[in-house]
Amino acid sequence: MIRSSGLWSLLAAVLFVAPAVGEENTSDLVTSLSSDVISIQSNFTGTEIVIFGQAQNFERQPNDPGGLELAIVVEGPPQDITTRRKGRFLGVWVNREAERFQHVPSFYAVASTIDIGELANRNILDDLGIGLNHINLAVSGVSNVPLADRDDFREAFVRLREETGLYSEQETSIQFLTASMFRTNIPLPANIPVGEYRVKSFLFKGGEVVSRTEETMAVAKIGFEQITFRLAQQYPLVYGILAVSLAIFTGWLAGVIFRRD
Amino acid sequence: MQLYLPIAEIPVNIFVIFGMGGAVGFLSGLFGIGGGFLLTPLLIFSGIPPAVSVATVTTQVVASSASAVVTYWRRKAIDLKLATILLAGGVFGSLIGVILFDVLQSVGQLDLVISLSYVTFLGAIGGLMLFESVRAIRRRKSGAAPKARRPGQHNWIHGLPLKVRFRRSKLYVSVIPVVGLGAIIGFLGTVLGIGGGFMMVPALIYLLRVPTSIVIGTSLFQILFTMAAATIFHAMGTKTVDIVLAMTLMIGGVIGAQFGARMGQNLRGDQLRLLLAILVMGVGLRFAVDLLLVPDDLYSIAIRKGAGA
Repeated sequence: MIRSSGLWSLLAAVLFVAPAVGEENTSDLVTSLSSDVISIQSNFTGTEIVIFGQAQNFERQPNDPGGLELAIVVEGPPQDITTRRKGRFLGVWVNREAERFQHVPSFYAVASTIDIGELANRNILDDLGIGLNHINLAVSGVSNVPLADRDDFREAFVRLREETGLYSEQETSIQFLTASMFRTNIPLPANIPVGEYRVKSFLFKGGEVVSRTEETMAVAKIGFEQITFRLAQQYPLVYGILAVSLAIFTGWLAGVIFRRD
Repeated sequence: MQLYLPIAEIPVNIFVIFGMGGAVGFLSGLFGIGGGFLLTPLLIFSGIPPAVSVATVTTQVVASSASAVVTYWRRKAIDLKLATILLAGGVFGSLIGVILFDVLQSVGQLDLVISLSYVTFLGAIGGLMLFESVRAIRRRKSGAAPKARRPGQHNWIHGLPLKVRFRRSKLYVSVIPVVGLGAIIGFLGTVLGIGGGFMMVPALIYLLRVPTSIVIGTSLFQILFTMAAATIFHAMGTKTVDIVLAMTLMIGGVIGAQFGARMGQNLRGDQLRLLLAILVMGVGLRFAVDLLLVPDDLYSIAIRKGAGA
């Protein structure tokens, strides 16, 4: 599925790039995913997606501060996540403070051509949510965390997500096949949540976004996994009775097979 | 071999899970317990989400107790009347447990309450059993005849009103302690994700003076139905019963249980109780250590809403 980035980026390219570069009139970005549906079956142990693309009129000079650079973000469906911190209370370790992050991505991976900090200034990266330090982690109003400790919670949250493989940052992982064609692999771990994913690609020039594309990708269970999950969600009573019946049958069968007296 | 679990949404090594089911099944067959108090922590330590572990173990306990109940039923070692009254209390206690479970989960103190309960109950019951079994073994070694159970032997429980006659157990006792016991164990079982056999068996023996030959079958029968109800509650409420995980555990469990039961017949009652006491105390100690030592990571996260919640 190859899709051009549309009017907005074309406009942006014309407005920002054309005057600066002079002879180049466009640096349009085109991207494509190796697959737009990730199927989860009983043998699923994780996979990866390959993102291909071409930046037209792209002439990349490594470490050229004025050059063109790329960042690709893969984002999973949103979640609300509570982060808790333990403290000692009467000699035992218990959860004390809690911070609830709302609408944070359940999966987040970013790949780029150079260090993320060098792509653009902090405000732009924050706006676009490029890089683990720049994800928008909105907190809920109710929180017993002192203001001075807020950053510790954000760091802990990102670190814990990184440990599960659900958040990752791979700087300089975008490879160039030709002067303008690139590809990158984003690993999808076995524990990825199902849902609609967004793949956002950004082309930077001199610290500004000159072109961007966005594609969607679905992660879905199929076959037996899907039937089981649907049954559990939509007909929980039937599912519960089925589970109990299976258990009683298995137990009874074993009791009969291994009869000793 | 890796197998993706449809509800837990993670792949697991099926042989490891099968092995865990088998090992816990062996112990449950050996001691006549459901094994939930061993299996739930084992699954959580191996990376299965706690909610899925708790709910799925209830299903596994149904299978392992069903298997054992068949055997005890054939031996006529079940007091149906006693089991039914315990069950009535159990359902009531379980209902209160479900409510408390939700409240604790939303304030983030569920883990603490589970750990503290494990430490308290496993420590206390393990300690009592250890003390009692060591005394019994010593007495047997020294050749002193164990005191025979006399019909007239009463404690304060036998003075309560609303008495009912339980013929199989040769008991004439008030229903209040029976319902109460069922309720407490149903409550703890729901909150802790265990069948509660290791608490039910000593309580029936020491408090109600139910004959040892009847205790295990009756306790298992009651657990079978409480856990069947708990499975359906979990399926409808938390929606975290993983049928694939449950099946794997069950098959391992029922096979292990057969070997356990066979080995149990070659061991003396007091030796069995000593081994069980050590096991129970060991698990309790493991939780105590976690509560007291500085955790590796002070922070933890829990998904509250959205994908995978």
